[in-house]
Amino acid sequence: MTQPVLSVRNLEVEFVTRRGLLRAIDKVSFDIAPGEVLGVVGESGAGKSLTGTAIIGLIDPPGRIAGGEVWLKGRRIDNLPKEELRKVRGKRIGMIFQDPLTSLNPLFRISEQLIETIRTHSDMNEAQARARAVGLLTEVGIPAPEKRIDSYPHEFSGGMRQRVVIALALAAEPELIIADEPTTALDVSVQAQIITLIKKLCRERGTAVMLVTHDMGVIAETADRVAVMYAGRIVEIGPVRDVVKHAKHPYAKGLMGAIPTLATAETRLLQIPGSMPRLNAIPAGCAFNPRCAEAFERCRTDRPEYIPVENSQVACWLYDKRQTKREVAA
Amino acid sequence: MIPPLAQSAALVTVRDLRKTFDVSKPWLERVIDRAPKQFLKAVDGISFDIRKGETFALVGESGSGKSTVARMVVGLLPVSGGEVMVDGVSMSEVANSAARELLRRRIQMIFQDPYASLNPRWRVADIIAEPIRAFKLLDTNKDITDRVGELLTLVGLSPLDRVKFPHQFSGGQRQRVAIARALASNAEFIVCDEPTSALDVSVQAQILNLMRDLQDRLGLTYLFISHNLAVVRHMATSIGVMYLGRLVEVAPAAQLFSAPRHPYTRMLLDAVPDLEMSGRARIPVQGEIPSPINPPTGCTFHPRCPLVNERCRAEAPLPINGVACHAVEEGRDGAMELRKRA
Repeated sequence: MTQPVLSVRNLEVEFVTRRGLLRAIDKVSFDIAPGEVLGVVGESGAGKSLTGTAIIGLIDPPGRIAGGEVWLKGRRIDNLPKEELRKVRGKRIGMIFQDPLTSLNPLFRISEQLIETIRTHSDMNEAQARARAVGLLTEVGIPAPEKRIDSYPHEFSGGMRQRVVIALALAAEPELIIADEPTTALDVSVQAQIITLIKKLCRERGTAVMLVTHDMGVIAETADRVAVMYAGRIVEIGPVRDVVKHAKHPYAKGLMGAIPTLATAETRLLQIPGSMPRLNAIPAGCAFNPRCAEAFERCRTDRPEYIPVENSQVACWLYDKRQTKREVAA
Repeated sequence: MIPPLAQSAALVTVRDLRKTFDVSKPWLERVIDRAPKQFLKAVDGISFDIRKGETFALVGESGSGKSTVARMVVGLLPVSGGEVMVDGVSMSEVANSAARELLRRRIQMIFQDPYASLNPRWRVADIIAEPIRAFKLLDTNKDITDRVGELLTLVGLSPLDRVKFPHQFSGGQRQRVAIARALASNAEFIVCDEPTSALDVSVQAQILNLMRDLQDRLGLTYLFISHNLAVVRHMATSIGVMYLGRLVEVAPAAQLFSAPRHPYTRMLLDAVPDLEMSGRARIPVQGEIPSPINPPTGCTFHPRCPLVNERCRAEAPLPINGVACHAVEEGRDGAMELRKRA
């Protein structure tokens, strides 16, 4: 197997508050291979964006990385000094945020922002950097890039702005792109354009992508593998087809059933009772146990380990029980 | 008067509804620049009927004017032209003001953001009782308290929640409070403007199921505004697709999804990410919605339409059998299927 671009091991993020220590991310581990798109889904507060922020070391106090390791192409990056990490961040990891208007500086032309980024991470001169910037804008599908490059961010529409942000993220040819809800602020027709673009770039350049979103449709269309997060933990991770079509974890199952699709009109939507626990009141054992219809004694006391089920890893004791039963039967 | 679209017991009838916003620069700047006044046609002549007990959904992208329609239908925005009739009474006719006042209590609205639509300094009991008090439906405080408890139970909360403040609830629970408030005046017609867009999927499922249950139990009529086609598919009896202030297609829900006719509807359906992962062919989506201040001539969709011809650029299409498209009228729309297969 080729070396993964990104390896996250037992990552923990904590927030120190007056009411005590809140663990927002709890022992999260995953790998992303070159050219692979890993989708990270979950509801608000599940810790999906925070995972992305923790990987690039942008967590602000009172938050802090409390444990675990982040490896980028075989090099540990979570313990690097600030200056070193800054170089890694722009050069080897690109970021795409939800709102393209706030991730571009409104006072500078697109050209200045692109050229600055390119020159920071390479030794090109002004003219070379400009040519490269035009090339990037062409690649992300902006019409007449030679003219548009000197526009200000407000002169672009939402979809075009997101394309500029993608061009910025690509500027230093990163090995990994972390895209945090890249299409949430956009209309469906534009969303489809951006998804197609991200997929194409990933395929052509072999860039690994961590795609954080709450929209399962986007994941189903874009990702190769999916991690489902709940209350700061990954409850299930596996190939996209398996997770979307045959989710194993009761929460992942509920989440998939709750999504209205174009195919299911008359059926009642599956609903999970209750809502996600607050960080200061995460139940013992499996965090999902109070909402789970299939919970039993062990779920309330022991935190589930990852159990391989078919091609997925599932953090649920249900599957352990079945395995032991099978063993007993054998 | 324009004749009704269909012979039916329509509870709500909207005819040729228009809204124009004045987006001119200030007077002095206009004088200096010798610029004329500028108007934005947010809603440009739309008509539809909603039958009692049914859900009519308006879908469209941002800026298509769907929320403006919702606000005009409930009377939060004055209309610039056209008419909204509820149960045969025109909502804008001054002569009928007494009858209109009686109608008001039968119309309520649920807003998108449950964090902004509930007064943070009021207790839930006061929020839900406000319509009861405003319309003087019940006299004694005890009756009102009982009714509030009943409404809270109806939307899946506990009567004990009445003493809480909105900040003590999650987003989904707040939306339940907003629904209880809408039902407090025994409303029959509820306008829902993106009621689940601010919610997570699992909570969205709870609210959508609740809204459907309430519709079955109380015979409610909904005008449902959403940009999410899958949600609309789940809720609507019939659907109107809006583009730049006009209805481009109106059809029963099942028909719209199985056999969309307008090129914009087809494009919109194609653009929805596919959870089924059927690997279906897609027409690549072109461009973005233009600015309504300076809309394209003729059919406003023509710059993005694969079936465009000279007539589309010059002449705005009128709805024929619910579809406003020259290509469909002339039978040129088969070309789209061919492109898809190629």
